[in-house]
Amino acid sequence: MTRKGRRLLVISCAAGVLFVAAGLVLFALNDTIVFFRSPSEIAAEGTRPGTRLRLGGLVKDGSVQHTDGTHVRFVVTDGGADMGVTYVGLLPDLFREGQGVIAEGVLAPDGSFTADSVLAKHDETYMPKEVADALKKQGVWKEGEGTP
Amino acid sequence: MNPEIGHYALVLSLAVALLMTVIPAWGARTGDAALMRVGSTLALVLAGFVGLSFATLVVAYVQSDFSVLNVVENSHSAKPLLYRITGTWGNHEGSMLLWVLVLAIFAALVALFGANLPARLKANVLAVQGSVATAFLLFILFTSNPFTRVIPPPAEGQDLNPILQDIGLAIHPPLLYLGYVGFSITFAFAVAALIEGRIDAAWARWVRPWALTAWAFLTLGIAMGSYWAYYELGWGGWWFWDPVENASLMPWFAGTALIHSAVVMEKRDALKVWTVLLAILAFSLSLLGTFLVRSGVLTSVHTFATDPTRGVFILAILVFFIGGSLALYALRAPMLRQGGIFAPVSREGALVLNNLLLTAASAAVLVGTLYPLALEAYNGAKITVGPPYFNLTVGALMLPVAFAMPFGPLLAWKRGDLAGAAQRLMAAFGAAIVIAALAAYAQGGGPVLAPFGMGLAAFVVIGAMAEVIERAGFGRVPRATAFARLRGLPRSVFGGALAHAGVGVCLFGIIAETSWNAERIAGVKVGGSFEVGGYELTLDRLEPRNGPNYRDLVGVFTVRQGGVEMGTIESAKRLFTARNMPTTESGIRTMWFSQLYVSLGDELPGGGVGVRAYWKPFVTLIWIGSLIMALGGALSLSDRRLRVGAPKPAKKPKAKADGASPVPAE
Amino acid sequence: MLLWIAFSLMTGAAILAVLWPLRTGAAMPAASTAEADLAVYRDQLAEIERDRASGLIAPAEGEAARTEVARRILRASAESGREGASFGDDRRRRIVAVVGLLGVPLLAGGLYLSLGSPLYPPQPLAQRLEGQPNPSDIAILIRKVETHLEANPNDGRGYEVVAPIYARIGRLDDAARAWSNAIRLLGPNAQRETGLGEALTAQAGGVVTVEAKAAFQAALAADPNDPKAQYFLGLAAEQDGQTAEAAQRWSALVAASPPDAPWLGLLREALARIGAPIPDAASGPGAADVAAAQSLTPEQRDAMVRGMVERLEARLAQEGGDIEGWLRLMRAWTVLGQQDKAKTAAGQARTHFASDSGALGRIDALARELGLGS
Repeated sequence: MTRKGRRLLVISCAAGVLFVAAGLVLFALNDTIVFFRSPSEIAAEGTRPGTRLRLGGLVKDGSVQHTDGTHVRFVVTDGGADMGVTYVGLLPDLFREGQGVIAEGVLAPDGSFTADSVLAKHDETYMPKEVADALKKQGVWKEGEGTP
Repeated sequence: MNPEIGHYALVLSLAVALLMTVIPAWGARTGDAALMRVGSTLALVLAGFVGLSFATLVVAYVQSDFSVLNVVENSHSAKPLLYRITGTWGNHEGSMLLWVLVLAIFAALVALFGANLPARLKANVLAVQGSVATAFLLFILFTSNPFTRVIPPPAEGQDLNPILQDIGLAIHPPLLYLGYVGFSITFAFAVAALIEGRIDAAWARWVRPWALTAWAFLTLGIAMGSYWAYYELGWGGWWFWDPVENASLMPWFAGTALIHSAVVMEKRDALKVWTVLLAILAFSLSLLGTFLVRSGVLTSVHTFATDPTRGVFILAILVFFIGGSLALYALRAPMLRQGGIFAPVSREGALVLNNLLLTAASAAVLVGTLYPLALEAYNGAKITVGPPYFNLTVGALMLPVAFAMPFGPLLAWKRGDLAGAAQRLMAAFGAAIVIAALAAYAQGGGPVLAPFGMGLAAFVVIGAMAEVIERAGFGRVPRATAFARLRGLPRSVFGGALAHAGVGVCLFGIIAETSWNAERIAGVKVGGSFEVGGYELTLDRLEPRNGPNYRDLVGVFTVRQGGVEMGTIESAKRLFTARNMPTTESGIRTMWFSQLYVSLGDELPGGGVGVRAYWKPFVTLIWIGSLIMALGGALSLSDRRLRVGAPKPAKKPKAKADGASPVPAE
Repeated sequence: MLLWIAFSLMTGAAILAVLWPLRTGAAMPAASTAEADLAVYRDQLAEIERDRASGLIAPAEGEAARTEVARRILRASAESGREGASFGDDRRRRIVAVVGLLGVPLLAGGLYLSLGSPLYPPQPLAQRLEGQPNPSDIAILIRKVETHLEANPNDGRGYEVVAPIYARIGRLDDAARAWSNAIRLLGPNAQRETGLGEALTAQAGGVVTVEAKAAFQAALAADPNDPKAQYFLGLAAEQDGQTAEAAQRWSALVAASPPDAPWLGLLREALARIGAPIPDAASGPGAADVAAAQSLTPEQRDAMVRGMVERLEARLAQEGGDIEGWLRLMRAWTVLGQQDKAKTAAGQARTHFASDSGALGRIDALARELGLGS
């Protein structure tokens, strides 16, 4: 094989690998992204049940109920709308009423939300960015006010 | 020590870094040896001043000097000494200072140990390193000054984020920074070579030890961070595809590609353009990681504080260095002379495949990390790209890497014999099938893919050993000769084999843990018990305990297997009083390579606590494998001797007559 | 001083780092690129030899490798003549030396003076806690008292000392607790009780709670003339809707106060708020006030005018004999849209001038003009 031919062969193999990789990325991206929504957005858009979502907002005061050891119900609010969440598992350390939270899970047909993971902020001065943005949109929280 | 000394040392560092950028570069341009030499002394002095500055800050932390704002915001006098020290880099300002310190240390090491470098290359390397230092010193002094004073000083600090009050903080960031910032040297070498316009096999020889050092530290840093998150966050996960984890993984992939392609370049004078690009990319991705962590554009565990000016400043640094180096690359790369040629099936070919897959994985992680940002900027939609994406893409790209890994070292340079290599791997392949069968038998009806994964991992480990055995010639030459050859093998051969075996070990841990782990969430009262992964855990008692700056609620569990008592596990919910912030102190019991992992949740209204328990089979192999990888890197690094590629002559040798078939040297 | 010496030494070290390598005696030719390359390639050749000798590579392979390396060596030697490394052109060296000598101190010094705080000494906690504390270091003073009180929880004096400091720096919970402890240990007196009441009130955001009220009453029991207790009890009455009681308490307090008492301003404000008469001295708007009013936003000007009107009202309530003042007040309230206040002012003016028919006529005329009714 000529020098040129070899180089061409190597390059075309490389291009093939890259092509496969790019396809893989696009395929995976299409299949696995999860949208972030606030309760008001879900109410306004009429999101279909069964959709996988990240729900963000504040844990409504007085809404947390431990039904038995590990089943928890609470309400996520962004000031504009509320959404009930059920979750089985241990809540994160910094999960508190009146604090920011992100729940990832599926919208149930009855309009409630079944979470399979719940994230709270990582320390007391920090608010998940998505939640902060959603709350700002609803006018519940303003920049510079400190975290609610 | 007066904090002002540290402040002045930092300001002086900026002046020194500025001179270090200009003078040696001018010297290299004009060929003035005196000017070039100034770079070396400046590099040493820079490391001294940044070190002094950092030491002063550490002293302020140790002495709880609350006239320093940074100490007030991140320390507390009741904190144990170790965490007062580590608190120095447990915050934005301090960690940036550590970043620059590592940068300066690497520059000083080049100045000290770069005696074999051509003066011009060395001067340019130091100048580039000086320019990076200048940019980050400006950033520290004007947006994140750790020496800002408070008058009058408060009597107590606000304490460090409790999650960071852990031995992990002492180790993880310094190691990670040694890795991240270590790639600044390979970057500097690449840019210096581009400025000179000449890159040859010798260049790769000079860059390799630095790339290996950075890579080994980065490997350790990532592994350490993973273990830290595993036991400290209490979620039982060891990798979350958090943006910041991704930010460290991207340069790791690029760096791994770099240490391999540099071998090709050193031995065969080929892949030059590509190697230089990788050297630039590895550090660019490190910078990107710094930007992502420090600017707060992405939600992450590691976000300390968000300040828009900081983000813009780092973005400017990012654009300058990445854009500048890539522009220089575009300008100069076409002028580089092409090197040796090789067939697709050859050692070089295998390394090209490895490089392609690794960079593709790096790109996949990059896309997944930045896609949400881009989409939000484009149409405001907020999305998350979660673990499924990364598992799928990185997994699919890494499996062929793992499969091809044992083949690579067995192929000859220039033109390899795939069938021959496969033949030599028959034993490894057989062993892999046995292990896969054992795994399938052991798991009964578990995930179908798990036995295949186990087999693959075993193939990688045994294949790595096969390389060493093969090269020594066991089974083909008399045993004594083989042993003699084994001793004569360069250390880098052992290093490479060890690192490859480490990958296999790590892979084994990952597959075993993800396929076979068991999780149990339960509400337990004192005296109650539950079962996880074949073990029975009984909550013996719940007791409060007091620490120096926290209060614990400790749950003591007894572990039994088949009625036989195996020991106890203590897991705690810890409340840090200064910030009124709870953390989970998970209880872990290691049995061989597997672990039982228990974390406590909230106390339940009806008495008792929520408990989350995991059985994690072979989980420690993930980190042990990473350690072996880094150890392999260190072993290669200790090989002072220069190895050279022995290309197979174009015509097939008639050989094998003498009994010793030609085995490629590395 | 020591600090500046340290700074100079550090600067000197940085300058030396520039100057040292420039000195001519140190001329040691550095490795040229080609030489360094050749060194690497010669090593590679030696390595191939070793491998071949120990049987690690086949002779044919070794030969091919040798050829490749030899080619690299040829190329490198061809290039070796091209670059000539000079040592130290004098002009360049002088420029660099000057930059080092001047640039380093100027840049570092200038930047440090704008960023640093050279006059603030270090303040390690241990040093602040031991020995005689610096009297301006309030935080440490408090901490020392706290440490002392932890050891001697029955030292009432300690609580009494620290309580007002807590209140001043806004640690109201601690202030209230310290005052209660002082009262418990030292017995009640007016100062302690008002201190407690005040802390409780501040904690409740200015509302005089039941506990606070009890404290103020206890203070009055200890000292019937305590002005603070009087004031806050008046405030409590106002908050309970007992305006009359409030007015009575406050007026009595004004009457009992010396003319330069610092709390008079507060009392006048309070009295004006509930519309009670106030006895006081006064002043009209000065030229400066008017000038200031020009440069204000409408809201600010409104507030300023209102303030002046309230001052006028307070003055008139105290010394009611100024008919021009009363007329101005009525007009002013009307302009500000406060019809009822204007009416009140008219009513008060009428009571003041009940015996002066001329004045009464002017009041009535203005009231009609402003549409305030009779």
